[in-house]
Amino acid sequence: MSAQLAAIAVDGGDLPLGGGLLALVRPALNALETGGVLAVLSRSRCVREDLPSWCRADRHEYLGVEAISQGLDRHLIARGEFSVPPQPTNNEGRLTPRDGRLTASDMLEAAPLPTSADPFTGFAPRGSRVEPGGPGYPFTLNERNHLAPPEIGKLYDQAVSTQWDATRDIPWAKVKSLSDALENALVQIMTFLAENELSALYVPSRFMARIHPAFVEVTMFLATQLADEARHIDVFLKRARMSGRGLGISSVTTSRSLLSLLQTDDFTEAEFLLSVLGEGTFLDLLTFIERHAPDEPTAELTRRAKGDESRHVHFGLAHVRYGLANDPTLYRRLENAVRKRAATLHGVSGVPAPLQDALTILAAGGAHPGDVARGHERFRELLETMHLSRTRRLEHAGFTTEQAETISQLHTPNFM
Amino acid sequence: MGDDKGILLGAVAYDPKVVTIWEGIREHFLEQGTSLDFALFSNYGRQVEELLKGHIDIAWNTPLAHVHVRQRTRGESISLGMRDSDRDFHAKVIVRRDSGIKSLRDLKGKTLAVGSSDSTQARILPLYFLAKEGLDLDGIEILSFETDPGKHGDTGTSEIDVLRALQEGRAQAGTVGDLIWVNEQAAGHVDANKVEVLWTTPGFDHCMFDAHPSLPREKVEMFRRSLFAMRWDNPRHRRLLEMEGLREWMPPRETGYRSLEEALKEQEQE
Repeated sequence: MSAQLAAIAVDGGDLPLGGGLLALVRPALNALETGGVLAVLSRSRCVREDLPSWCRADRHEYLGVEAISQGLDRHLIARGEFSVPPQPTNNEGRLTPRDGRLTASDMLEAAPLPTSADPFTGFAPRGSRVEPGGPGYPFTLNERNHLAPPEIGKLYDQAVSTQWDATRDIPWAKVKSLSDALENALVQIMTFLAENELSALYVPSRFMARIHPAFVEVTMFLATQLADEARHIDVFLKRARMSGRGLGISSVTTSRSLLSLLQTDDFTEAEFLLSVLGEGTFLDLLTFIERHAPDEPTAELTRRAKGDESRHVHFGLAHVRYGLANDPTLYRRLENAVRKRAATLHGVSGVPAPLQDALTILAAGGAHPGDVARGHERFRELLETMHLSRTRRLEHAGFTTEQAETISQLHTPNFM
Repeated sequence: MGDDKGILLGAVAYDPKVVTIWEGIREHFLEQGTSLDFALFSNYGRQVEELLKGHIDIAWNTPLAHVHVRQRTRGESISLGMRDSDRDFHAKVIVRRDSGIKSLRDLKGKTLAVGSSDSTQARILPLYFLAKEGLDLDGIEILSFETDPGKHGDTGTSEIDVLRALQEGRAQAGTVGDLIWVNEQAAGHVDANKVEVLWTTPGFDHCMFDAHPSLPREKVEMFRRSLFAMRWDNPRHRRLLEMEGLREWMPPRETGYRSLEEALKEQEQE
């Protein structure tokens, strides 16, 4: 065998096969195409015995050995067909920091998302050389167009940099003692918020294990969303329990509304119902609570929660808008999802009564009848604001004014 | 003979994984339209007898069992296929580095660890080839590991025993099959400072599917077609192929069993 055929060579020195030689031989073979030839230089007599056997065991072709000088052998091996195939397309760029920082967007630029992903690549990170013959994974969200909007990297970076601490970042020591009516209203509102945020914690988690890891940035973003929801549940319940009078009422309307959300099996439909419509509506609710908050800690925790929620709404909108741009049938599917959900709440027309009353008292600042009239008016304005924001958001996502109007009207009276 | 509907194959249950392997292969054969069932035996002697009596159609045989079947059927048994790893098998003589053994002649007066008496690769053929090299085996102390008799060395236990005896210094030399030797090295289980390979025997072939001479032609063809349809890059096949120790099924060949036939003849004469 002539040495010209050798594509690459490794110098094995006097390493025996079982004493480290394979750590040089295996990676060198992995760099070759099937049939590519590797020259192994060796001063070990044992390698003459062992290398042909190893090639037989690993199905490479041992082409022979020649002594090229005193005590120095050159073995030639042709890479076998049962090895890890080379990268089919290497379109990866080198990742370089900008101003000393590396963002998820930089990563996406260096290793772009594929249009679709193969469930047989399992948890192999995007861009790995995947050995064929591995098991298929139960990933069902394998298409970029139905999953990952272009701004996903930016949203993830933003989410990571704006995390806050529910233990230290709220001025808990400044919580005020309130009138009975106001205290009860606040407890009820916090109970309602926590219950709804629990659903927002559980709903995305149902889909995370279905997302193909090639689109891991989406899963990573949802992980930040779960951390956000966990923190919101934490602060809402802390604030409620600082009143020392237990928690408020969980109504059947809320329970039924959230169950229908949890039972949505399609990721895009769930994102639409949860983030675009539900969390979108919550932005107005949180603004309302912040504006009428009876003390600084309540205003602060509501403000911070709203900041996180607006990011979730942003992702939901981007996801839906991206899906709609790539699949016009999605309009009808989303409208149907809203109709189907509305049917489970048929006969319920109003906001759960305990919440409505609590919001009224909060806006009134207490139970004086004159103030309550004003609180009630504010509550009615809130409903109108929510409807207007929803239709604006839906139009922004790509729906017509008419569709937006219909969908907004059908949205759950539970807000989420 | 198995019923008219399907093929009945015999295999030796040398390990619990044998059930998983044959359940998987049976399922694959059924998908290919080949009805296959299997019977498990505890030893190759019994499996060969049941094949010869026609109680099973095909036996998945070790080289020793294959040679027995060829002899007992006067070469009329039908060889169906083998693993890629069954071709060009070799045995190795491994020595301790501190034993001073530099050539086969240095084995004289030393302790040589060998596998079970029915292991082709760890005892029968290496001793046969050493004698052919002119070595007087009576001048060598044989340390024998009689593990899993009747399994023809399938479990590999006696080969691991040989390697352990070498590492621990209970023997200065030992004989094992090439696959276990390189695989143990590749996995980092061998202390290369203590032991090294001295010699490699000539090549020989290993296991074979042997069919009863009366197996109808169409069953032979169905069996081969289904067997050779297994692919390393198919996840379900790969799991089975890994357990059975191959990447690709190969057509049969008889040339690789001459040395074993010769060795057995010599054993009989002794």
